[in-house]
Amino acid sequence: MAAEFGEYVRKCREQKKAKSADFSLRKLAIRIGVEPSYLSKVERGQEAPPSEATIAALARELDEDPDVLLAMAGKVSSDLQRIIRKRPKLFAQLIREMKNMPNHAVLRVVREVRDGDW
Amino acid sequence: MIELKRNALEFHFPEISPDARLSIEFQRTLRIPDDDQTYPLPPGLGRFPLEHVDDFAANVPQSWLQRGGVMLPMYQAEALWINFSAHYVSKRQAAYPFAVKISAGKIDAVTGESWNEALRKKPQDYLVIPRQPWLDGYCVGRGVIRQFVAMPLGSGYSAEEQITGTAEHGGLQIKVFPMRREAFERRYPIVRMRATASARMMRAAPAPLEDDTLSCESAMGLAPGGQMSQEIYDDEFAFHEWDHQTASRCFVHLVNTEMWQGITGKRPPTKPPKAKDYTKAGLPWFDYYDESPAVNAQAKLANLKSVAELGEEKRQNPLPDNEAVDPTNVVGLRKGLQPGQVREGCF
Repeated sequence: MAAEFGEYVRKCREQKKAKSADFSLRKLAIRIGVEPSYLSKVERGQEAPPSEATIAALARELDEDPDVLLAMAGKVSSDLQRIIRKRPKLFAQLIREMKNMPNHAVLRVVREVRDGDW
Repeated sequence: MIELKRNALEFHFPEISPDARLSIEFQRTLRIPDDDQTYPLPPGLGRFPLEHVDDFAANVPQSWLQRGGVMLPMYQAEALWINFSAHYVSKRQAAYPFAVKISAGKIDAVTGESWNEALRKKPQDYLVIPRQPWLDGYCVGRGVIRQFVAMPLGSGYSAEEQITGTAEHGGLQIKVFPMRREAFERRYPIVRMRATASARMMRAAPAPLEDDTLSCESAMGLAPGGQMSQEIYDDEFAFHEWDHQTASRCFVHLVNTEMWQGITGKRPPTKPPKAKDYTKAGLPWFDYYDESPAVNAQAKLANLKSVAELGEEKRQNPLPDNEAVDPTNVVGLRKGLQPGQVREGCF
């Protein structure tokens, strides 16, 4: 997982570096607040993926979806965790029921206007 | 089944037909002067925002949760009209028909009778969509309605309070009955020809609260305002063609704008313009031409007092801005509403 994450980050960074020198390992590491040597190890899969905050900063810099980068790092964003922890049984059931649904069906989850007693 | 989408209620009846779809939205509009004149139709100034009451369960009264449905914020200085848009079935070149009952404070807006669940033919207590594109108020005469305007529930002005003497329900109640599928398909067979334009344009495009606090000071009822020209059209179909067993209904709660912010944490829309300023700016009013037969008013609604009349009796001034206007820019819209025909004042 660390290797897959690191390889993907490196690929994204190098694509950007081809157009702008701002995406050298050193400059990007400074902007996201880590040591260049640490980012280098992450890219080579020699270090576990960084914290959620660092992954979010990387996603911002690389124009990537933070949830996708977090998933590649084997993490779930803390706001989603909070949502699930609030109603764990309900969301666990919902996600399991939806796991095999095609994307369009997931996007088509219907919320009905509830009728009551009047 | 009803969904809330982009501030509109989307009624679907997949068990009847995938084509049985109706969209209902609530358009903001200016309050027309409440005087002796009969005015043309005021514009649509955008949709009222709608929210599920269940999403704000901690901040709304228990009675609202019991009724379910949705809520919208309304200034006392504004009025509301209802826009109906039935799904147009291109291959049959017809919009799917619906019978729609509309009540305010559980008083039927067409007959003035108390809410009942069934459709009634004589006197007709429902609207027929798509012939009826809009409803702006209570039917008080043949071709004349009194505008739906917001007044605080409990102040005595709403139609509910004038007719029943109580301020129990408030809000708007809607029940939609689709046409039976075989009736629709028999009336509108598939047309085997080149596709034609299918577009049917519309007229417009904090802390938990005590129940009593909200119902007395913040909940709104609809009262009869100024008069305007609008027909409620006769049912052109046979009564048995409606699917009387299949219907969906929704309670729409009305709340004043201050309380809306308190309940939802969201800002209400900006205040609507006054009729005088709108007219002075040369912005359009509307007339709708359809010579189809219209229903007559029933005594209960014909005898309602408008907010201005009742205010005079009560020696109150509920309408500080009620000067007569003389709309000169009146746009005529023809039956069926062709592409490009809209009833809106936002340009």
